[in-house]
Amino acid sequence: MAGFLDNFRWPECECIDWSERRNAVASVVAGILFFTGWWIMIDAAVVYPKPEQLNHAFHTCGVFSTLAFFMINAVSNAQVRGDSYESGCLGRTGARVWLFIGFMLMFGSLIASMWILFGAYVTQNIDVYPGLAVFFQNALIFFSTLIYKFGRTEELWT
Amino acid sequence: MQYVFLYGAVDKRVQGTPLPLCLQRDEEGKRLLEALVALSFSGAIGLTFLMLGCALEDYGVYWPLFVLIFHAVSPIPHFIAKRVTYDSDAASSACRELAYFFTTGIVVSAFGFPVILARVAVIKWGACGLVLAGNAVIFLTIQGFFLVFGREDDFGWDRW
Repeated sequence: MAGFLDNFRWPECECIDWSERRNAVASVVAGILFFTGWWIMIDAAVVYPKPEQLNHAFHTCGVFSTLAFFMINAVSNAQVRGDSYESGCLGRTGARVWLFIGFMLMFGSLIASMWILFGAYVTQNIDVYPGLAVFFQNALIFFSTLIYKFGRTEELWT
Repeated sequence: MQYVFLYGAVDKRVQGTPLPLCLQRDEEGKRLLEALVALSFSGAIGLTFLMLGCALEDYGVYWPLFVLIFHAVSPIPHFIAKRVTYDSDAASSACRELAYFFTTGIVVSAFGFPVILARVAVIKWGACGLVLAGNAVIFLTIQGFFLVFGREDDFGWDRW
């Protein structure tokens, strides 16, 4: 009984070379997640226009998430390792500090969105959809960042 | 291989010799022409769906036409990336992947915009459905253009 799936293989599809297309697929998936997050927030802002329903300050989480996305993806993994020929304007340590700040902003926005969902919506007796929208916007941007950063391989760039 | 075949009072010494390469593209030209006609047809169908979503008596609201901006802007990141990485032989580059990212974003936005309009009852859900169908057809047409006409081996900028 143990290991009965050991010899199972997915059906082979030889028509497309997935290794060459990995970066393109990762970019497209990241794009879908990122922009879906933003459109969920736009939808909430349009359907709930009053500040009592969706405080306009809650948009800051999404803005900082987006800023963090571009900060994290501005440095390549090669620059962080110190491998690339041109050291950029910050060098290796600067690239690491930049990446660190980027990840801090990203995690901070994610945690803030959870706080907003629970503190400002779930515990008060109001319509919870805007809080969910803030949370999903930041969660989707977070996953989009991870996929864009770690789903692509830099070997295809050489 | 195509050969010279002449009638009448012309120089018969070239009769039966192979056609020069620049005149041998008959088959490929026909294929490209057929593809162009098919793509134009599907583009017209897509635009028809979009216009139906706006102009039918039941609907009569023309806000969905703004998705045409998304359609027009969608190929731009691809061309910018192609221009920037023209000299490189690499399979991919950071610029090209960023272009894919933004193109995907523009496509998602073109689908999200009519949904938002329907959510606040600016347009009816039926109109939204027609606009989404038109979007899908038009984006498939644009992708078809890239597949068919992007196959040139050496992409020369003199054609711009």
